Amino acid sequence: MEEIRIGVYICWCGTNIAKNVDVERVAAEAGKLQGVVVARDYKYMCSDPGQDLMVKDIQEMNLNRIVVAACSPRIHEITFRKALEKAGLNPYLFQMANIREQVSWVHDDREKATQKAIDLVTGAVKRVRWQEALNKRSVKVNPATLVIGGGIAGLTAAREIARTGRIVFLVEKEKSLGGMMKKINRTFPNLDEASKYLNPIIEEVSSHPHIQVYLNSQLVKLSGYVGNFIGTVNHKETQSELEFGNIIVATGLKPFKPTPLSNYAYKRLPNIITSVEFEEMLSKGYIRLDSRQEPKHVAIIHCVGSRNPDFLPYCSRTCCQTALKFANQIKDLLPKAHVYQIYADMRSMSKGCEEMYSKTAKRGVMFLMYDQKGKLPYIREAGKNEKTRLVIEMKELLSGEQVEVTADLVILMVGMEAQETSKQLSQVLGISRCSNNFYIEKHPKLDPVATTTDGVFIVGSCQAPKEISDSASQAKAAAARVLAMINKDWVEVEVITSSVREEICCGCQICVHVCPYGAIEFLKEKKVSCVNEVICKGCGTCASACPTGAIGSRHFTEKQILAQIEGVMLQLLEV
Amino acid sequence: MANQDKPKLKMAIYWGAGCGGCCVSVLDVHEKLFDVVAVADLVFWPIALDIKYKDVEAMADGFIDLTLFNGAVRNSENEHMARLLRQKSKILVAYGSCAHLGGIPGLANLTNKNELFNRIYLETESTLNPDGIIPKTHFNVTEGELELPEFFNDVRALNQVVDVDYYLPGCPPRTERLIEVFMAIVNKAELPPNGSVVGAWEKTLCDECKRKKTDNKVIRKFYRPWEIHDDGETCFLEQGVICMGPATRGGCGYRCIEGNAPCQGCYGPPADAPDPGAKMMSAIGTIIDSNLEIEIEEIVDAIVDPVGTFYRFSLPKAILRKKMSVPKPVN
Repeated sequence: MEEIRIGVYICWCGTNIAKNVDVERVAAEAGKLQGVVVARDYKYMCSDPGQDLMVKDIQEMNLNRIVVAACSPRIHEITFRKALEKAGLNPYLFQMANIREQVSWVHDDREKATQKAIDLVTGAVKRVRWQEALNKRSVKVNPATLVIGGGIAGLTAAREIARTGRIVFLVEKEKSLGGMMKKINRTFPNLDEASKYLNPIIEEVSSHPHIQVYLNSQLVKLSGYVGNFIGTVNHKETQSELEFGNIIVATGLKPFKPTPLSNYAYKRLPNIITSVEFEEMLSKGYIRLDSRQEPKHVAIIHCVGSRNPDFLPYCSRTCCQTALKFANQIKDLLPKAHVYQIYADMRSMSKGCEEMYSKTAKRGVMFLMYDQKGKLPYIREAGKNEKTRLVIEMKELLSGEQVEVTADLVILMVGMEAQETSKQLSQVLGISRCSNNFYIEKHPKLDPVATTTDGVFIVGSCQAPKEISDSASQAKAAAARVLAMINKDWVEVEVITSSVREEICCGCQICVHVCPYGAIEFLKEKKVSCVNEVICKGCGTCASACPTGAIGSRHFTEKQILAQIEGVMLQLLEV
Repeated sequence: MANQDKPKLKMAIYWGAGCGGCCVSVLDVHEKLFDVVAVADLVFWPIALDIKYKDVEAMADGFIDLTLFNGAVRNSENEHMARLLRQKSKILVAYGSCAHLGGIPGLANLTNKNELFNRIYLETESTLNPDGIIPKTHFNVTEGELELPEFFNDVRALNQVVDVDYYLPGCPPRTERLIEVFMAIVNKAELPPNGSVVGAWEKTLCDECKRKKTDNKVIRKFYRPWEIHDDGETCFLEQGVICMGPATRGGCGYRCIEGNAPCQGCYGPPADAPDPGAKMMSAIGTIIDSNLEIEIEEIVDAIVDPVGTFYRFSLPKAILRKKMSVPKPVN
C-alpha cells in the first residue's frame, strides 16, 4: 500500500472561525497526527491563494490525502475537490471538517471550541486515510422536460425550452392554464393588463408542436434519476407514463383564507372581501358593493395572515405593491372615493414600486399604520347613525391615537401560502420543504433554482411568494440550466453509491425492500443481490441493513466511519 | 500412515476461560486421534496430559509449532499462559468462540468484578456465607501464603492480549474443520495471511441454509422459538424468530438449523463486518414493519435479552464493549 501523506488546512474564514477557535493550535495538533505531512492555517482557504497553497503542497510534498477544516461541506466541498483535481489528485481523497457551522458559530467558549475543532479534525484525518479514489460516471440525457404547473413560471419555462425544439410535457392540475396570474387584473407598478402578457404565452404553449399539455393532471409517481426520469401522470380516469430528463416544478401558491382571523369579520359581515376577490371584481370592470352601489369609502388592510406567527410567519412579498396598485385602480374608477391603506410596514420593494408608493400617496390616499405585534385592527358593523356600514377600530401607530376608519368596502390583503399538494409532490419528487411547506432550493444564493435532487428545479412561487417578473426570471434561469444539460448530452451521476460484493452476499434479501429508490434486485440464479448504481443515490440504507457487510457504500465504508468516530473520540479514549 | 522421517509437529492445547467443550471437540476426532499423534507430539494439554506450567516455561521460545488456545482471558492466570504460549509457539490459533471473540464468558462484561463477586459469593439464593468471604489473591495459612489468580474486571478475547495468527471459530469448532486446518498445517499447504479466520466459510450461514428465503422480510412481532409452530421450512427471520445466520459465517455444519433452532452466531462475523451484533440489529431495524415510534418500541421490547441475542459470543470484541454505569438518581 502507498504511504499515506496527509495535508491538513485550517481555515480562519476571516474572523468567522478564528474568533472562537485557536486555529494555530488546531493546526499544530493536527500536525502531530499519524500520516500528517503538513498542517497549516490560512485566512481564507476557499480563496484562490488558499487553494493554490494546497495545490502547491500536493505537488511539492507528494500529498495524497487532504483535510480542510473550514465551513460546511455543503458550501465548499466541491471547491476543494476541484482544487485536488487541479493538483492531479482524485477529488475523493479529500475530507472536510466543519469547524464553522458546527464549532465557531455555535460555541463561545474559545477553549472548548478549540478542543472540539481538534476532535473533528482528528476524526477527518483518521477517516481520510481510508478514503479511496472514485471515478466519475456519466449517462445520456433524455432531451424531454417535464414542467409541473401551468402558471406564469411553468408557462415561461415550457415556452423557453420548446422554442429550442425540445419536447416539453406540461402538467397542470386545474382545467386551464394561467395559474394565479390569470386571476390578476392589472400588474404593478405600471397597471398594465395582466392578460396582455399572459394570453400570448398561453396561446403559444397550447399550440406549440413541441409541448404536450396535460390539464386536470398530476404527477403521482416518479422513478429514475437525472437525465432519465420516468413519471406517471394521472389525468381523471387515465394514466400516462412519460419519460424525460429534467423536471421544472412551478406549482405556485394559494391565497390564505382569512376566516380564522375573526377580527376581520370575513364572511361574517358583508362587503369584506379578499384581495383575490377584488381582482376578480376589477376584471369584471367595476367596483361595487353587494347592494350594487359604488363604495365611497374603501379600506385596504395589509398583512392579513402574513407576518403573523400564528398563521404565515413570513412576508408574502407582493401584497404591499398590490395594495398600492388597488388604491390607484380605485382612484381611476371612482375618483371621489376615499381610500385608506391600513398597513403594518410598507414594503413596496422591487423596481418602480417605491415610485408607485410616492405617486399613490399624492393621490389623496390615507395611510394608517397599525402595530402588527399589538392588537390588530377590528372590523365591526356601524351603528345606525354612522355614515358607512363598516367601522374599523384601530390604534394608529404614528399618531399614537385610537381611531375609527369608516368603510363601505374592506379589502383584506391576504397572505400567500404553499399549495396543499406541496407535501405530497415533494415526496414524489424527493425534494425538501421548509417549515412553511415551500420547496427548498439547493443554495439560497449560489443555486437558487436547483434542488438537492439532481435534475429537479424549482421556479416561481412554489419556492416562496414572488412577483411575476421574479417568477419569469427564475423560469428562464431553470430553462437555461435544463437546456445546458440537454446540450451537453450527458450528465455526471452519483459516484457515491452502494455495491454488493457477491463473494460475501448470502442472499438473505433483507436489502431488497429497504431501498427507497428500488435500485436493488435479487438475482435468483446467482443467489445474490445486485445494486443498479445509476438509480442508487448512495443513501446507505442498504449498507446499514446488510447483516453480512457484503453491501458497502462507497465513500462511507464501515472502516472510514469507524475511523472517523475513533478520531473524534480519541481524547475521550485517552482519558 | 505418516512418514516416520518427517519431524513430528509439536502441538499444545490450552484452555483459558472456557467450558471445556473446545477440548472435547478435539477429542471428537475419535479414531483420527491416532493419525494426529502419528504426525504430532502433544507437548502440553492440561485436560489429557500431566505436563506442568513449569515444563512449558522451560521450553525454548518458538519450541511449540502449533498451539490451539481455547477460552477467553478472564484472570491473570489466563493472561500469563496466553503470553507464555505466544512466546513458545510458532503458530498461535484462537480456537473456539471464547478465544476468538470473548464468547459466552464475555457477556460478563455487562457487569464488573465487584458486582459479580457480590452476586456469586454473597447474594445468590443458594449462597450461605455468613462471614461474607470473597476470594482474595493472597491468603496466609499456617503452611505459608496461598496465591490465587487475579480476577479481572473484563473478559478479553485472545487477540486483545497477544498477537494471534489464526482464528478457528465455533462453540465449539466443528471437528471436521479442525482436521482440515490441522492437516493443512501438517502438509505445509499454503496458509492464508496472518490474522485470517480459518475453518469457516467466507459467506454467512444463509448461503447454505436450506430453508425457504424470500424478500418478504417484514417483522411485526418477534417470537422466541418455542412461541411459533415452526414448519421446518421457512426462514426463521420470516417467522419473526431472530436468527443470527445472516451475520454469521458458515462452516459449522449447519447444526442448529438442522435441529430446528435459529443460529446463535458462534462462528462469528464474516470478514469486514467486525461487529455482528450491530450489523444484525441494524438489519432487524430495517425490516420492522411499522413507522410509529411507540409501536416500534413495543415490537423491539419483545426481544428478550438483546445483548445476549445479538452479542452472545462477541461482546468483548464488539464496538459496544461494556455497560456504562449510569449514576442512580437520588430518590
